[in-house]
Amino acid sequence: MAYAHAATAVLSNLAKAAEKQHRDDEAADFGILADRFRPTSPPEGGLAELRDGLEEDLDSEYPAIRSAADTQGDRGALRAVTWGEKVTKIQKSLVDRYLAKGEALMEGKDLFLCEACGFIYLGDAAPDICPVCKAPASRFSRVK
Amino acid sequence: MYASRNISLCTKDCLCLFVCPTGATDTETGQIDRDTCIDGCRACVDACPSHAIHLVFEEYPEPKAKDPSVSEALMSLGAGKIEQEGLARGLSEDDGNPGAARLARALARSSRILAEDGVREAGFLTPQCRASKAYLAELAESAEGGDRDTLRALSAD
Repeated sequence: MAYAHAATAVLSNLAKAAEKQHRDDEAADFGILADRFRPTSPPEGGLAELRDGLEEDLDSEYPAIRSAADTQGDRGALRAVTWGEKVTKIQKSLVDRYLAKGEALMEGKDLFLCEACGFIYLGDAAPDICPVCKAPASRFSRVK
Repeated sequence: MYASRNISLCTKDCLCLFVCPTGATDTETGQIDRDTCIDGCRACVDACPSHAIHLVFEEYPEPKAKDPSVSEALMSLGAGKIEQEGLARGLSEDDGNPGAARLARALARSSRILAEDGVREAGFLTPQCRASKAYLAELAESAEGGDRDTLRALSAD
């Protein structure tokens, strides 16, 4: 199948969709399958390699989606690009800051993840509203 | 369609109890009893002052079709984000650098969310839509044993 690595994301996305529809058995099935379809040998590397991948997304993947979505007038896809680019920039910024400062960056700070859009916040408490997708603080989880 | 209560929004004003014709909203679990809830009634949804009750649909419309050029670009993004998730997961057990490990765990989870959002917009909005059913059927052919059976069941109408 094309883009075989995306299968686990299709499955975990459908798990969330089923859960929102209160179809708990289906959600559980999709969740198990999402784990089974994880890539067996993920790429190896450090934060520097991860940073390169994020840069690649910002330089070519997101612009390619934006161009196709613009042509088609697909506002849903444009929304995903708008949020995704912002979150990817934040990811890259955090990696850059860690590469520059090391463990000192993280000391005494918590990481909060917006479960709606993936935005990551490094600080003392979750924001009241997600700056990317405007979800309320209740959608944030602290990453342990 | 039956009603469902979001407990974290419920302010316990209990207007839903006043308007429910069957008593379905009054249960010891705090959730609305699906068996006695009247299909599409929505009296409790409209009466609730805290907007804590919504209707759960049993059927969903077919989403607007996606152009293949948009779907392809989003699936490519999704596959890349899953690779990044895998890379980050590999870094999340760095015992010598607990801060880096914690950052990697956040990056892995964030990448998964970005991948899911991408593939959702590629056309896999609901488990019921035609694109999802076709994808699951195709995935079943590449799977074995119990996974194949589960995928076939999920792809059936």
